[in-house]
Amino acid sequence: MSEAMALVDVNNFYVSCERAFDPGLEGRPVVVLSNNDGCVVARSPEAKALGVKTGTPWFQLAPQAGAWGLVARSSNYELYGDMSARVMELLGRWGTWQQVYSIDECFLGLAGTPEQVVGAGRRIRQAVQRHLGLPVCVGIAPTKTLAKFANHVAKNNPGDVRIRGVFSVAERPRAVEALMSRLPVTEVWGVGRRTGEKLDRLGIRTIAELKAADPAWIRSRFSVVLERTVLELGGTACVPDVDEHAGPAQVIFSRSFSRPVSTAAEMDDVMNVYAQRAAARLAVQGQQARMVTVTAGTSRFSGPDGSVSRAVALPRATADPITITRSAVAAMRSVLTAGVPYTRAGVMLTGLEPAGSAQDMLEGFGGPEPDRHLEEVLERVRGRFGAASIGLGRGGLAEQGSWTMRREFASPQYTTRFADLPVVRA
Amino acid sequence: MSIPAPGARGRGPTSGPGAQPQTPRAHGFPSPARDYLDGGLDLNRELVRDRTSTFLMRVAGSAMAASGIHDGDELVVDRAVTPRHGSVVVAVLDGELVVRRLRLEDAVPGRAEGVPSPVTGHGARSAAGPATVALESDDGAAPVVLPASGPEGLRVWGVATYCLHRL
Repeated sequence: MSEAMALVDVNNFYVSCERAFDPGLEGRPVVVLSNNDGCVVARSPEAKALGVKTGTPWFQLAPQAGAWGLVARSSNYELYGDMSARVMELLGRWGTWQQVYSIDECFLGLAGTPEQVVGAGRRIRQAVQRHLGLPVCVGIAPTKTLAKFANHVAKNNPGDVRIRGVFSVAERPRAVEALMSRLPVTEVWGVGRRTGEKLDRLGIRTIAELKAADPAWIRSRFSVVLERTVLELGGTACVPDVDEHAGPAQVIFSRSFSRPVSTAAEMDDVMNVYAQRAAARLAVQGQQARMVTVTAGTSRFSGPDGSVSRAVALPRATADPITITRSAVAAMRSVLTAGVPYTRAGVMLTGLEPAGSAQDMLEGFGGPEPDRHLEEVLERVRGRFGAASIGLGRGGLAEQGSWTMRREFASPQYTTRFADLPVVRA
Repeated sequence: MSIPAPGARGRGPTSGPGAQPQTPRAHGFPSPARDYLDGGLDLNRELVRDRTSTFLMRVAGSAMAASGIHDGDELVVDRAVTPRHGSVVVAVLDGELVVRRLRLEDAVPGRAEGVPSPVTGHGARSAAGPATVALESDDGAAPVVLPASGPEGLRVWGVATYCLHRL
């Protein structure tokens, strides 16, 4: 039996992280808000049931919040980043390989018979619940596209006792066929609305119809990417093992190495390159990040050292490649076990927000070079224009900038700040 | 000590193929380079069995003082440890995290099975556990008696493994 792969992701990740430390939020409608408490970025099932949509501005919900019992939380990137790193490290122990795909999901290679692999999926789900108090869904299939589909099935059928958060396409071929004939192509990983409309004009509306299409014809009418999707739906794994993508919540750059890397110095170099590539991607998007997560893994299961992951908060929201690279290198050094032959590593940037803050414009002053005669220059400017006319970053501004992030409903940084530890009553 | 965030190495897996969840002090494969890199003692390494499942919590209140857990102390709490008869646990009571000593009423002390709990996944055999359990404090208050499982039953958040007390 060839190897299967699983897509594991955390249900309502941000909300689930908040609930893990505040059991009082269980059973209540909860939303997590974007930067500056702007709009809804995550919803508990209860909030979804109330009809709250992702992207809804908070000011529209605030008037009804009291009557609905709706609870809002500001984004707590420190908490989500740390919990994400824990999830990824734990999941990495289960896979023959691991590919982190976003802050709350990763692909894992699973070896064994179909029954064994489903059993592993169930134990993975139990382990994440037990270690971290987070609910996950597991989709198992021979290809990434099908694993995404299987995960979607698991997630959307919470009440199905035969699924219980784990769905394998090999285990339920008839159910898969029925679903594919019913669901629209836009439910497939990577098929967007516009591709869906174009497919529709060609008479391809359901997943089953896309799966039955001629791959070569699809390539000629669309792209090699959609051709791969067709092949993957048919069970041929061909989405390349390269991960460089950007979503609304994160930018990722990760790669497998051509040969194992086992020294700290070499891993420094890897982090240098990857962090700068991720930072460049961030800059192209016009965004800045608040958290850096680094991951590394071995190619096969090898005990506790098989996977490492660490999330660190950046000193401020930034797109500065120097700051991001330094943080990534330092974070990796702190978790790396020298001598372990790592075969894959990645850098993920999260807590994204639009760039262009006042802080950023002064980034040039922040370099390490001691010989810029900065103080002298600053003094002369101050002498001429006043004490608060110039300074390093925030220090120079006469008024608190409007860029100071609003986090009115912030939960404590339970896992990353000693002053913020969760309180247990005795 | 610093927080047991994923920054310090835990001692080994408690899940995954071949894991041995009930061997809390088992050493992982020794890496000669670690000592070389770190030099001195690392409390994370000593106090944290598994860094993915270990959290620090701050104690508020004195109901567990006789057990050496005082107001303002920090607890090292491991979510992946199976709670047993006599374990000091962090439990969820009325939507709140509370530290108490666990009594498995029907169980023989020292031979207790893991407590089954649908929420934490602790305890593999739900039929083998006791029907009711008790959460006890040291201050003479009546213990809270709960069903061992079910929606109104015991919910263990984690097991306290160390208490940090400032002198």
